[in-house]
Amino acid sequence: MATTMTAPEAGALPVGDPVEYYFEQAWSDGLPVVPPTQAKIDATVEALGGEPDFPEAVIPPRRGTLTREVLAINMVMAGCKPEYAPVVRAAMLALCTKQWNLNGVQATTHMAAPLLVVNGPVRNAIGMNAGHNVFGSGNRANATIGRAIRLVLLTVGGATPGDLDKSTLGHPGKYTYCIAENEELSPWAPYHVEHGMAPEDSAVFVIAAEPPHSVVNHVANDAQGVLDSIVSAMSTIAHNNAVASGSCAVVIGPEHAATIAASGFSRLDVRSYLWMNAGNTWGEVSFNDRYAGGGKVYNKALPAWYKRETNARIPIVPTPDDIHLFVAGGAAGRFSAFIPGWGRMTSPVLRKIGAMPEGAVCADGTCAL
Amino acid sequence: MEYQIFDPRGVVHAEHRDIAPRVASLAGLRVGVLDNTKWNGWKVLERTMALLGEQTPFASVTRYKKESFSVNAEPELIARIAAENDVALIGIGD
Repeated sequence: MATTMTAPEAGALPVGDPVEYYFEQAWSDGLPVVPPTQAKIDATVEALGGEPDFPEAVIPPRRGTLTREVLAINMVMAGCKPEYAPVVRAAMLALCTKQWNLNGVQATTHMAAPLLVVNGPVRNAIGMNAGHNVFGSGNRANATIGRAIRLVLLTVGGATPGDLDKSTLGHPGKYTYCIAENEELSPWAPYHVEHGMAPEDSAVFVIAAEPPHSVVNHVANDAQGVLDSIVSAMSTIAHNNAVASGSCAVVIGPEHAATIAASGFSRLDVRSYLWMNAGNTWGEVSFNDRYAGGGKVYNKALPAWYKRETNARIPIVPTPDDIHLFVAGGAAGRFSAFIPGWGRMTSPVLRKIGAMPEGAVCADGTCAL
Repeated sequence: MEYQIFDPRGVVHAEHRDIAPRVASLAGLRVGVLDNTKWNGWKVLERTMALLGEQTPFASVTRYKKESFSVNAEPELIARIAAENDVALIGIGD
């Protein structure tokens, strides 16, 4: 796996720059990667449990084998610390389940990309950001965990843009797309607890996602008002859920969450309200049969039970459970976000992250209890 | 100064298999046509078969449907198509 590259004689053109070498091999996402060293790779392999040749997964569509050593190489290139390894691996294994359909997401002409949301004590143990600018830059853990996933998808998975990755537009989340839920400022139980895990468990949720669509509301002081703005963001024929069903995510900012909870709304109330009130008419999604050539356009990608009548209201996703709800973002600002998914061709996956002891504080791969 | 380069791509473990030999003529063959369920997919496939059928006497033309576009056809469906036909027509695209 390693070859040795020697710098030229003094005075010649510098071809011995490893950063440039990785750019030239098309092993980069367009940004400089950290040239791996054996020591850094070894430290990350150790954090993965040793056994560098252990095959964790096969990454489509190229179907390269992701051994622990290969995963470590990509993590080091991304700039990860070894202690991020359990999160990165859990996310990769979630992506490689049959129901997630990574092959489809890698190759699609849609812009969907994996969004990772992390829950539990691991967030603080490795210093993730769940607060201000949570979808943005500035946090090493968020940035490099998401980037490690992308580099694996590119190098091992072969998803070179225009070649096996046919995404027409792409989106910035294809550099990195990884956040933590703000469990501390959330008025509700965390996402992973809503889905049956213990609060002291750590987990990563992965969904094929469009970019976040901002939802502003500085006016409403009750749940209905705030949620109606999110309903408005959802009720469009433009995103993929409207035409291909499936799952979506909603991220509620802490100020909005406090207002919604003060009205007595639980997580289920929020998801149910959004599901019930968001939607389009069948006429809107079928362009009122403008392109049906005299017949009817039967949209096979939407559930059979959606009424195919012009004024019938159809939901954005089939059930309230297809709305995956998180609280994230900073303490100040009345904003939330709607995040459409790819469609029924993929199911999001929640995966527990290898046991982190309660209250563990970790640095450089060593956890003190 | 020397740098060690580490290849991030991993190895592809694949077993070589030859594809089926090409048929000399389509006449008298059973054709399976797989609808990928994309919005206009069947229109294209149906029109293609109509045009081919003007020149070629097929023994039969059978339509099959995947569960969904962008998802691999189930192995059982692929096996059925192979068992019930001599050639297959598929399409990829939006």
